Amino acid sequence: MKTLEEVFETWEAVIGLEVHAELTTLQTKMFCGCKLEFGAAPNTHTCPVCLGLPGALPVPNRAAIESICLAGLATNCEIQKHSMFYRKNYMYPDMAKNFQTTQGPVAFCMHGHLDLDVDGAAAKERYRLDDLKPGEQEGNITRTDEGYVAHVGIERIHMEEDAGKMVHIGGGEGRIAGATHSLVDYNRAGTPLIELVTLPDLRTPEEARLFMQKLRQIYLAIGISDCSMEEGSLRCDGNVSLRKRGATGLGTKTELKNMNSFKNLHDGLAYEICRQAEVLEEGGVIYQETRHWDPSAKRTIVMRVKETADDYRLFPEPDLAPYDLSDEFIASVRAKLPELPDQKAQRFAQSYGLSAYDARHLVEHRATAAFFEGCMDDAAQAGDGEKLAKPIANLLINDVTAYLNENEGIQLDATPLTPERMLALVRAVAEDAISNKQAKEVLAVVLAEDKDPEVIIEERGMKQVSDTGAIEAVVDAVLAENPDKVEQYRGGKTGLMGFFVGQCMKAMQGQGNPKVINELLGQKLEG
Amino acid sequence: MTSAANAAQLAPFGQMSVKQIQHGLRTKEFSAVDVARATLARIPEADEQVHAFLETTEQLALDAAARIDDAVAEGRMNEMGPLVGVPIAFKDNMNLTGTRTTCSSKMLENYVSPYTATCVERTLRAGGIPIGKLNMDEFAFGSSTETSAFGPTRNPWDLGRVPGGSSGGSAAAVAAGLVPITLGSDTGGSIRQPASFCGVVGIKPTYGVVSRYGVVAFGSSLDQVGPFARSVEDAAITMNAIAGRDELDCTSQEVTVDFTANLAEDVAGMRIGIVPAFMEAEGLTPEVKAKVEEAAAKLEARGAQLVEVELPNAKAAMSAYYVLGPCEAFSNLARFDSVRYGYCDPGHKDLGAQYEASRAIGFGDEARRRIMLGSYLLSAGVYDTYYYPAQQVRTLITQDYLRAYEKVDCILTPVSPRTAFEFGEIADPTSMYLSDMFTISINIAGNGGMSMPVGLGADTGLPVGVQLIAPAFHDSNMLRVAAALEVEYGVAPVAPASASGKAGE
Repeated sequence: MKTLEEVFETWEAVIGLEVHAELTTLQTKMFCGCKLEFGAAPNTHTCPVCLGLPGALPVPNRAAIESICLAGLATNCEIQKHSMFYRKNYMYPDMAKNFQTTQGPVAFCMHGHLDLDVDGAAAKERYRLDDLKPGEQEGNITRTDEGYVAHVGIERIHMEEDAGKMVHIGGGEGRIAGATHSLVDYNRAGTPLIELVTLPDLRTPEEARLFMQKLRQIYLAIGISDCSMEEGSLRCDGNVSLRKRGATGLGTKTELKNMNSFKNLHDGLAYEICRQAEVLEEGGVIYQETRHWDPSAKRTIVMRVKETADDYRLFPEPDLAPYDLSDEFIASVRAKLPELPDQKAQRFAQSYGLSAYDARHLVEHRATAAFFEGCMDDAAQAGDGEKLAKPIANLLINDVTAYLNENEGIQLDATPLTPERMLALVRAVAEDAISNKQAKEVLAVVLAEDKDPEVIIEERGMKQVSDTGAIEAVVDAVLAENPDKVEQYRGGKTGLMGFFVGQCMKAMQGQGNPKVINELLGQKLEG
Repeated sequence: MTSAANAAQLAPFGQMSVKQIQHGLRTKEFSAVDVARATLARIPEADEQVHAFLETTEQLALDAAARIDDAVAEGRMNEMGPLVGVPIAFKDNMNLTGTRTTCSSKMLENYVSPYTATCVERTLRAGGIPIGKLNMDEFAFGSSTETSAFGPTRNPWDLGRVPGGSSGGSAAAVAAGLVPITLGSDTGGSIRQPASFCGVVGIKPTYGVVSRYGVVAFGSSLDQVGPFARSVEDAAITMNAIAGRDELDCTSQEVTVDFTANLAEDVAGMRIGIVPAFMEAEGLTPEVKAKVEEAAAKLEARGAQLVEVELPNAKAAMSAYYVLGPCEAFSNLARFDSVRYGYCDPGHKDLGAQYEASRAIGFGDEARRRIMLGSYLLSAGVYDTYYYPAQQVRTLITQDYLRAYEKVDCILTPVSPRTAFEFGEIADPTSMYLSDMFTISINIAGNGGMSMPVGLGADTGLPVGVQLIAPAFHDSNMLRVAAALEVEYGVAPVAPASASGKAGE
């Protein structure tokens, strides 16, 4: 199979996402008073309503309506004052009534969008991005210095209820194939669920990943869901089709399921794009079908072929009156909107002199952003906040984020790193007591051994040598040991500077002040 | 206190009025346990031919009665509520914990309710004594109670005839004097038509007046619960007990009116609407037409003003009803899938086959007919042709009534075009549907309607009811008119055969 990059030479991918979020922060279910609780013993949070017993009637959860309106406002949607619930009829045991209560053509939230900042490695997936100059637009993207901004349309966000959970017994990995029987847990049945549907505006798996990441940040910021992809409170299906570069029509799409992590979302879409390209290039046909991403086998497999469109016999839910949301209600929800990640990033950039890039990455995790603000509040008292903002941001974005990623699931506020320790660390660098490289080492030890940076620096005898005389001796020795490279450097191969700095640092066991080393090397090589 | 043996010798409590029973309790002429025991004791024989009851609830009745007797002994009888000591029975689509709620379907033959419907709960909280569950057309699909999977109910006035339906058991139980009060449900006429056939008072309140929570749904936007009684007062007392907002049914409304308050006001000064097109409708029998005209004349004589009103879109009600009703029924009955409860045909290897076989066997013909009809009407490409116009018709009919009520306080029409028919007499479903020609538009519009007995038809000698239709949420208007008619015609009698104790002969 071709690589994604190769495929994109010929093909353009058209991707749309359907994102389900369970409103896990609510106390009760969508249409009854049963408690929402993940992991409770099966069928302990049920009642006649969520079991669909004969005669039971739904009563809508007002807080859920507030939550979906919050989601809509946070994603630039228009809140529809007039909308209603519909019944989507299909028979399956996970839905006790054999219809799902959902919304019809008009959802509570319509016509929104999110702007994605795509940069770094993520931007490289975009086909021939370098043809655009910063500020230039093409389709829904605008080129920036570091990458591009993608404007992704949101068709709608509608309110519905989740189904129960089926567990198939006797088959492999809980699958229905080969199962001897199935169990249903209705604790999840009736959980308030919002489904966001994007327009087919995404063109790369990275854009899809970034969309999900950004949406997750927003949902977490407005507090409507715990957004756990592993536990399934945030779920994403991807619709993907290919068309020849330059074509405007749409190819046949497949629907991809089981992408329960950002990585799986990216890798599943990437695989599916390459698979479709291979099929098409071999003269084959793409069938409209639902496919399952198998992360261990790294491939997608067919779950269900849709020969005809499902007929869900949608009609207005007669047990629930249509909604007429008042201006006052919408205003009251708007008043509850907290600072959103984009706004926070903007504030960070302005208040602390950070780059847009740094600010954006700082707000990716709420705990990280809060930690950063904690540092800045403390530093404000000492008056060195502005000076320390950038180094703190760097450590948080790179080292701390890497640490958190390696220790999956851990939150920054659950680590031994505190704002006080972070400040002590970056102040040590600012005072030239240790080098940046040493700071990274100390940080690792703080996280691993729960000690103060001062103690670690002391214990390990770390210090930074800034003494010009001592460094000059090392610089001279390094240059003397590498006459050929000196020759090449002077001949124009200035990239060798890094090599020389590295050699000096190595000779000084990492304790040399890189600024001084650079200066001296520069003088001597240029002179 | 009287012994149970003696209690059975007393006049049948089912033939008494609410006030008579409560007087007896207050004066300690008999106890509530006497009432419960005697009422239950009479059913096996008195109901043997009528077959109104599907189940009797001895233990629940005796427990409730014992609580009432305690209250009476402690001088708290007045705190017990408006139905204290009154035997009451429920259509079998109403959940009552521990009873079977079968909807007269094989599908739910062994389904035991794990919870209680709000309307049932309210009658019990009002001091009612639960006697049992009553036969009906399967899932309320029908106008004769012939579609019950457990055999039909017979009309106490003529055992060779149907009691009407779908709340046939509820109407027959009251007409036979088995209980003074029953509850039924009405989606297109299912309270009013059997009330008319059995010669008792039957009220379909305005949609939203009585909670639907716990009543197995047929057409959710059309269904409404209401009482059967022999007197207007007993029906009004029951309305007081069951009406009002229920947090569990978000279509229910706040109701503060006392339905007994204006029963003595008579009709002087009231404007009563007559719909000429209804009076000339094809199929309306002369004896029923004569009774409606007679009732109108009596009301006029008592000082009411008769005003002709038009309901130009009412003729489309039947068509709209047979779109909306089956669509909602299709979806409401989808839950009966054999998986967790209900009839399950054994031995199938996959879910689809189990669904199909269980539903094919579990549902009767009429239920299957409506499910298939609804499934078709909601399907892609068909929906826009039928469902949407039906909703438009609904709006038009609602507007018709609103316009009519600018001129009148209550409308007087026939209930059913004819008196009770014989078993098997109407075999064609669409002819059967015509039984509801005068009642359906009220469910479509949502306002209240009732059947008021006005004596016996000149040709058949069978009970005839007239329909009184009130503006939405002004149900007491029709009760006021009904009370005036009751003065003219007398309180509805227990069916003669039952009254003389000859029901079984």
